[in-house]
Amino acid sequence: MTAFTDNPMYGGQEPADTHWYQRAVFYEVLVQGFFDSNNDGTGDLRGLTEKLDYLQWLGIDCIWLLPFFQSPLRDGGYDISDFFTVLPKYGDLADAVELIENAHHRGIRVVADLIMNHTSDQHPWFQESRQNRTNPKADWYVWGDDDRRWSEARVIFVDTENSNWAWDPLREQYYWHRFFGHQPDLNYDNPEVAQMMLDVVRFWLDIGLDGFRLDAVPYLFERDGSNGENLFETHEYLKRVRKEIDASHPGKVLLAEANQWPTDVVDYFGNGDECHMCFHFPVMPRMFMAVRQEQRHPITEILAQTPDIPAGCQWGIFLRNHDELTLEMVTDDERDYMYNEYAKDPRMKRNVGIARRLSPLLDNDRRVAELLHAMLFSFPGSPILYYGDEIGMGDNIYLGDRDGVRTPMQWTPDRNAGFSRADFAQLYLPPLMDPVYGYASVNVEAQTRNPNSFLHWIKRMLEVRKQHEVFGLGSFEVLGTQNPSVLAFVREHGSDIVVCVNNLSRFAQPCELQLGRFDGKMPIELLGRVPFPRVGELPYFVTLQPHSFYWFQLVDP
Amino acid sequence: MTDLLDHLGVYMARQRWYGGDSPPEVVQIRVDEMIGRLRHLLVDADGATYQLLLAAHDDEFPPEFLHGHPQAHLPAWHDALIDSDASLALLHEVTGGAEPALRARLLGAEQSNSSVVYDERLILKLFRRLTPGPNPDVEVTEALGRVGFPHVAVPVGVWRRGRTDLAVVQPFLVGATDGWSLALTSLRDLLADGPDDPAQAGGDFAAEAGRLGQLTAEMHLALAEAFGTEPGDVHAWADGVAAQLAKHGVTGGDEVIAAVRAAAEGGKAIRVHGDFHLGQVLRTDAGWYVLDFEGEPARPVEERMAPASPLKDVTGMLRSFQYAGAVALTERAEGTNIDRLAAQTESWEARNRSAYMSGYFGVDGISLLLPLDARPLLRALELEKAAYELGYERAYRPHWAEIPRAAIDRLLCG
Repeated sequence: MTAFTDNPMYGGQEPADTHWYQRAVFYEVLVQGFFDSNNDGTGDLRGLTEKLDYLQWLGIDCIWLLPFFQSPLRDGGYDISDFFTVLPKYGDLADAVELIENAHHRGIRVVADLIMNHTSDQHPWFQESRQNRTNPKADWYVWGDDDRRWSEARVIFVDTENSNWAWDPLREQYYWHRFFGHQPDLNYDNPEVAQMMLDVVRFWLDIGLDGFRLDAVPYLFERDGSNGENLFETHEYLKRVRKEIDASHPGKVLLAEANQWPTDVVDYFGNGDECHMCFHFPVMPRMFMAVRQEQRHPITEILAQTPDIPAGCQWGIFLRNHDELTLEMVTDDERDYMYNEYAKDPRMKRNVGIARRLSPLLDNDRRVAELLHAMLFSFPGSPILYYGDEIGMGDNIYLGDRDGVRTPMQWTPDRNAGFSRADFAQLYLPPLMDPVYGYASVNVEAQTRNPNSFLHWIKRMLEVRKQHEVFGLGSFEVLGTQNPSVLAFVREHGSDIVVCVNNLSRFAQPCELQLGRFDGKMPIELLGRVPFPRVGELPYFVTLQPHSFYWFQLVDP
Repeated sequence: MTDLLDHLGVYMARQRWYGGDSPPEVVQIRVDEMIGRLRHLLVDADGATYQLLLAAHDDEFPPEFLHGHPQAHLPAWHDALIDSDASLALLHEVTGGAEPALRARLLGAEQSNSSVVYDERLILKLFRRLTPGPNPDVEVTEALGRVGFPHVAVPVGVWRRGRTDLAVVQPFLVGATDGWSLALTSLRDLLADGPDDPAQAGGDFAAEAGRLGQLTAEMHLALAEAFGTEPGDVHAWADGVAAQLAKHGVTGGDEVIAAVRAAAEGGKAIRVHGDFHLGQVLRTDAGWYVLDFEGEPARPVEERMAPASPLKDVTGMLRSFQYAGAVALTERAEGTNIDRLAAQTESWEARNRSAYMSGYFGVDGISLLLPLDARPLLRALELEKAAYELGYERAYRPHWAEIPRAAIDRLLCG
């Protein structure tokens, strides 16, 4: 194990790497679902610490922890009732410190979800606030006598909520909530709230977290005559957070979850003085569409509409995560198309999206899974993997809400998938047991032993990606080709030049690439290091197997 | 400078853009001048005027890049477009140096022009067969640019001699694919174990077809704005249909033609694209673009520029859907369940026709250009187009004659 001090990430002789997130591969972990160290049926922080060797072996750079704070768990922990306490089921503060330190020893960073917008209605702040209209925290939440104010603001969880206001019988007023009714929105117009959240941020950075994924960030403020999203005041507050952490904790990252169009999302980068990273939501459904339509335009169109981002910033891109495959950022036509193609059973629909894991979405087609990952790893942005997708885990659409994609990690073919030694009935959710995706056939142990497994393939891809900073830092330019089923592009970073060619079709395809300006260079296929014929003046001809791809590095021969 | 005169006839007969099969009887050099290092020739041959652009060999020897291009050789000279330095000099000439470039590549020869792509950013079209006056494509794209129609590549430079257009430089739509390739991609997906209903297929094309319909209508509104409108003459149009049917021996169309004449009015006649089909539209990341407003190359230029019903373009695109289906079906017809494939193809065509028309007729203002009931004229013009195709296929691709034949039967029954 590398000692903390001579790890290049944390100093030794090297200058501090403050832009690590531009090159990193993130791995999203559901603490309760990863590994259960005390056999109570729920995964915990110590369990995750025990599995750090696995994550190091896999080659990821940063863990993203889903919420692990004190919570009544009515929304998977996104309903926090104490920002300074670890949910006892997951462990305690000491376990969090141990996890972070052990991860750092392995060169792995840790970021965590921070829910700024709202708290649980069980939070003592809210309990105090609702007592009357005069208590010290009376203004910590957004109260009103009128439930029609700000009616321009859309209801996000359309499956369960019909208004953004809920009546509180104790205070006899309505409170504002953009998400579930049990999640009242904090009032950021109150300077005490704004300051308190900064204290929360600082507390966790002091403990060692490397940053935050800022959940549901567009909704912090409310203003008359607006839809309450992306307000100027929200950006100003985020800039304040950035400034304070840059001063006290350089090299930390803020990753904004703003499910908006790229032209609106870029505002969250500010002038490089707001969030370091933002999720790129709309590219994800379009990758699925492009594969089903066997043509590149759904992808190239959204990338063409994506504005440049300030220096030092980065997109976060992903195929699947703990939420539904969200279809808010597509047109109505495209949404119908996605439902039709990827959610044939209405049970698969959740809110405005599809609650499925990657493998079942792709009908367990490994070639497509490889192609989508190859694109994810080579598109501009830092890829974010969702736990279990590296072994092709399935889902259980019969579980409620989004639990279907939050089942226990499948470690071995043993009891409870090797996730826990608790009684089956004690498990927070049943592991998958179906013949195709169940833990008897899909598990880490079996795939570790099989060098041809999907897990090993992902690991190799991550190794290759890590060798080429161009994937994180390079420019992106689509290469023209007549064949609509082929998506080819070049990434360039100084002398590091990589050409990626992807066949979106289930049939073999030919393709002529216009590589004129690389005349004389030699393409080296990056997975096998096999040299290909030199680029000449004529179009460069390649043939592609169904759903296959090439990563070529262009070198001087 | 008559050094080349004796060689030009043989040279021209080797070019794809030359109209005949054998060297012309009479060759006359009308213009021969140096433009920088380029030698510019306008040559009359057998009643047409051709444009040649040549570059001199260095040291009198043919340069290396001419290997494998025997058609490009003349004594001490060669076709300038095959020579990237000379092509760059040409770009400089046409754009007045406003669009600097580093690389040039010849895109391949067309029947009426040659194209060079610069830095994957600009495309230069050199018109080979010249007609006096503006080139219809240049004229229309410039006019559409002026009225703010965003779906054409508006010229960034035009090279003229008097009123005659010699070459045009336009933005090159890198990353674009033509509608024909996209339609075939959709059809191949459907016909390879796809569902019976094309709406259920992953590669469904209807959304694109709908957008194409919308684009067509927007193009017509822009053309009407740029070139004006005049009342449509239903009798002239009916006569045109009748003449085309008669020419290709298609009988039984009297009722269809009579229905056109019976209409009180025919909507408007406007400048149209004239040769509108899936191969003339490009899907880019900013939507569909329209190419090539030259009209059907076989027709005389005045006829191509004459106002016509906008439905002429609509029928062109509709015919193209049938062609795409037929071609995809041919690709996979051997030894397979041909009845099912044919049924799928028919459903595909029906679905995309209807999506295209909904897109077209759904655009605000388009009805002002059309007859109150567009159906009789639409049907007649589609019949006219199919008859034209029948003549063309019989002459050049007899094995494809069945495609328009089937369409004619369908239109006459319908």
